[in-house]
Amino acid sequence: MPRHTTKIIFKLNLFTVLLVISAVACLGQSTTGTVSMSATVSKFVEINSGGSVTLTGNSGGGVTTDGVTNSPLAVSINLGEVGPSNTNSFVTASVPLKLRSNASYVLSASATVTSSGTTASRIGAADVGFGLGTISRTGLGVNSGSDTNATSGDPTLPANGSVNGTTGRYEFTAVRSNLSAFSSSTTALSGPIIMNAVPRSNANGLTVPALFAVKPQFFENGTTTISVTFTVTAP
Amino acid sequence: MRIRHFTFALLILLVLIVGASNTSAQALDISSGGQPTIIGAVSGSVTGSLDVRNDLVVTINFGEVSPLNTNSIVKVVVPIAIRSNQPYQVAVSMSGLNNANAEAVQASDVGFGLQNIRVLGGAGKICTQSTHIIRSPFNDDPATSVTIGSNGRVVYPSTLANLSGSTIILSGPQLSKNNSSIRQQSDGYIFDAIFTLTPQFFAAGVSSATLLFNISAGPNVPC
Repeated sequence: MPRHTTKIIFKLNLFTVLLVISAVACLGQSTTGTVSMSATVSKFVEINSGGSVTLTGNSGGGVTTDGVTNSPLAVSINLGEVGPSNTNSFVTASVPLKLRSNASYVLSASATVTSSGTTASRIGAADVGFGLGTISRTGLGVNSGSDTNATSGDPTLPANGSVNGTTGRYEFTAVRSNLSAFSSSTTALSGPIIMNAVPRSNANGLTVPALFAVKPQFFENGTTTISVTFTVTAP
Repeated sequence: MRIRHFTFALLILLVLIVGASNTSAQALDISSGGQPTIIGAVSGSVTGSLDVRNDLVVTINFGEVSPLNTNSIVKVVVPIAIRSNQPYQVAVSMSGLNNANAEAVQASDVGFGLQNIRVLGGAGKICTQSTHIIRSPFNDDPATSVTIGSNGRVVYPSTLANLSGSTIILSGPQLSKNNSSIRQQSDGYIFDAIFTLTPQFFAAGVSSATLLFNISAGPNVPC
């Protein structure tokens, strides 16, 4: 075979190999594919009513708007008469709160107390006892954890208040035991994650009663409005 | 003489090219099966190709899956096309999604099932002696089989936690009638890969995973 013919055949074979490689490469087929996925979980906290309000020691008054379990907290209470004509030792209201979170939480409260009275004997924020009661983390899906109650608990406890020996006025004296301590947003309760990984339809959570108390006294005549706002955050 | 040599070389060339096409075309192929869809998402999305001739490259963002998402479930359907001129099997392997916090999103929280395997056009091969088998436990739509476990957490019949290494999820007989050297719009089968995630009180954070779908020669079943 002539030498130049051999060269031609060799070149053609090279060209053939290139074409074969090209043919394979141009099939556009693949034996693999990918599915990438991601999801985001943001911090979540919520506060709702933990149930019905309990009002005791009242003379007149009543629960105007009651709490409904797992509904937004919007309770209205008329404490009734808190002058000396009410002979009970305290008028108390227990408002159940329900908290849920997927992160550490802080429950804050801020209060305003306005009275129609004009003297120092009118009802003021310091005359309204306040505290958080027993904290309960129970039910399926609720994370066990240790919470910190920044209040002194039930304001009617003897340890939390007494008659001022100088003025004769009953005072809630313990730490954060009256609403004067909450004139601005102040921490009342904090703790770790409340809920395990369960759906929102799970109705369990942390429950705690917010306790309010007024000692009937010779307050100045008039009416008083007390407003308390609870806020839960995930710092 | 030269012309004979040239003709001979040209014939060899053509035979080799045709041979290459025949041996490679339609052997085993996986691609997009159409546009993926997502429902129930908040700030979520899914991207993929509508064209079944494009590669399978899908990105799912389930979005917010804390209780801030008040939908009952986030569901994503990813159609996947497969083609073969021989028995096949599809396997999946996963990387990522290894949160140390048990309350964070885990592989067992992502429902994963296959449904609705169907012929892709007129050139899909319909075999009568063997069926396409979705391997256990993946033969389900996880969105329709949601239950609550003893710990209060959502449970699906099959999840990404059922993937161990490269796990075979589907197998069957030949998929394609022809031996086209390029992907066509009507020469195989499509199945739906379904992914679900129920919003829950998961620990906060971002989770991600990558699934690699792989088609290879499967058990030698008759067509």
